[in-house]
Amino acid sequence: MTTNTAGNSAATAAGIGQAGHGGGTSVLLQDLTRAFGTTRALDGLSIEMAPGELVALLGPSGCGKTTALRIVAGFESADAGSVLIDGRDMSSVPASKRDMGMVFQSYSLFPNMSALDNVAFGLRMRKLGTAGRRQRAGELLDMVGLADQARQYPHQLSGGQQQRVALARALAIEPRVLLLDEPLSALDAKVRLQLREQIRTLQQRLGTTTLFVTHDQEEALSMADRVGVMRQGKLEQIAAPDELYEDPATAFVAEFVGIMNRIPGELQGSGTVSVLGGTVPVRGESPADQAVDVLVRPEGLTMQVGQNGNGIVTTRNFLGSVTRVGVLLDGDVAVQVDKPSSEAAALAPGTSVSVSLPAQPVLLAPRR
Amino acid sequence: MAALRGSGGIGSPGIGGSRGSSPWASTVWRWVILVLAGVYFLIPLIAALRFAGISSFGSVISQSGFTSSLALSVRLAVITTIITIALMLPTTVYVHLRLPKLRRLLEGITILPIVIPPVVLIVGVLQIAPGFLKSTEYLLALVYVILAMPFAYRAIDAGLRALDLKTITEAASSLGAGWITTLWRVVLPNLRTALLSATVLTVALVLGEFTIASLDLYQTFPVWIYVNSQTSGQVSVAASLLALFVTWLFLMAITVIGTRQSRKTGGGSVTLFTVARQETRGD
Repeated sequence: MTTNTAGNSAATAAGIGQAGHGGGTSVLLQDLTRAFGTTRALDGLSIEMAPGELVALLGPSGCGKTTALRIVAGFESADAGSVLIDGRDMSSVPASKRDMGMVFQSYSLFPNMSALDNVAFGLRMRKLGTAGRRQRAGELLDMVGLADQARQYPHQLSGGQQQRVALARALAIEPRVLLLDEPLSALDAKVRLQLREQIRTLQQRLGTTTLFVTHDQEEALSMADRVGVMRQGKLEQIAAPDELYEDPATAFVAEFVGIMNRIPGELQGSGTVSVLGGTVPVRGESPADQAVDVLVRPEGLTMQVGQNGNGIVTTRNFLGSVTRVGVLLDGDVAVQVDKPSSEAAALAPGTSVSVSLPAQPVLLAPRR
Repeated sequence: MAALRGSGGIGSPGIGGSRGSSPWASTVWRWVILVLAGVYFLIPLIAALRFAGISSFGSVISQSGFTSSLALSVRLAVITTIITIALMLPTTVYVHLRLPKLRRLLEGITILPIVIPPVVLIVGVLQIAPGFLKSTEYLLALVYVILAMPFAYRAIDAGLRALDLKTITEAASSLGAGWITTLWRVVLPNLRTALLSATVLTVALVLGEFTIASLDLYQTFPVWIYVNSQTSGQVSVAASLLALFVTWLFLMAITVIGTRQSRKTGGGSVTLFTVARQETRGD
């Protein structure tokens, strides 16, 4: 029975939230280690998730983020370490008894079942009666905006619709934890953007603790309460998106998240570095070597048009309110500088400019 | 029916035009080839039909040995199919899920019965089979299980490959389904077409097998047709035409069911055709 209209879907969602675990689930990954042959997929990963929090694991492929998710789901086991859900160790609990909703990267709907039956599957496993599970499944389809597609089979749905059904199916069982394994990566850009917002809105409304794995930094930064950047099985940094962007803990995080310029500099004594003809303080640890690269975001550089500048404009990339200007500095160093679009009109390719760095503390990396 | 649909697809303008000749000419060529092939296949059947005469179809059933040999063949077909599917389905699913590296090996092993001549197979089996098996018709069923393996494996394998087995079994288990429930409610329903083609191919193989049955001294239906042709040629030709017709009906039935199924769930009915082609090559 899918008589719900879009108008009361908010009320429906609230009802489901209250009936369920109410977002009161905390998740603790403790020192997870997992090796496949000689490769260490996970190397002592620890994350603590507050109830109702959405944590994104971000990293290049092969960094272990998917392995971590699969261990939480119960599809893999850790060599060492443990997963605690509300303080209870899950090691001996099989995947089917963990009460976790999962949305997969590839389309995972059961091809032999309609959208409605797919969503109702988990409820059927929980021995809910036919009428009850049909009604609930209908409500959930309504919640993801697919009430009209309830009778359709997966092959009749678009990729985005299939992932929305998969999301409804995962949420139908009122999972203690929602696990999202790159659910948007197979979709095209526009659908991805819509679904991203829909997932976040639903997750916040239901208060379901969510672990989200992605290699797309924009996705992670825009959706998550906190983002954990992973590298070679280890957590480099876990922080709120703005903190991660403004205040990256390591050079890897700095370069992985957002766009980062590398400008050669010379390390001076007393925690300063000389770069672009000036001297600026160093933030965090300094590399052992004296020859370093200074890491600066495109918006962290200032640029003036000037006859005897230190660089020449090569490209101009209009991004809306800002324009990203490519500049080739003396010594063959290419950097990108953001300028308000209103000021960028004068910066045609070939223009001589002088680029400088405000006296803010900067992050350093060993020179490449 | 299938031929008409096929030629319609081939005659589409895009393909004909790309070759530089007019679509009309290529359509004509396709029809010429189709008609030639049709004549090649149909003339022996028509000749057989004329030789047998309509009246001999009536006397097939009353011929001595007809009922018992047909019953034996059907019994063997049922036993063989049950054993084959009971063995091959779990094996193939397990290999797909847990031992994907062994798929190549399994494929190689299952091709062996086609490579080894039936005569060699049955002579070998009769040499080493224990006495209690040699005295029953079940030995024949066991040998047929081996013969049916290539077809059953390929049908099931094709069905599994059309599924993202790992993901859907994991999805089922995250939703609370145990192993048996997952197999029963998620895997099996999506393999219906594949299992149906495995069944039909196995049945067709058992109903048509001659060499092994005759060397094992059992009068199955094909053996009966051969023996009977010595005494009453027309009746045995009529019987083999009937057998052909029944097998053809089977194949059509599975095509129709498979297509209906795939229209609903988006799966492929192609599986039957790829496997069916291998079957004719094997014979």
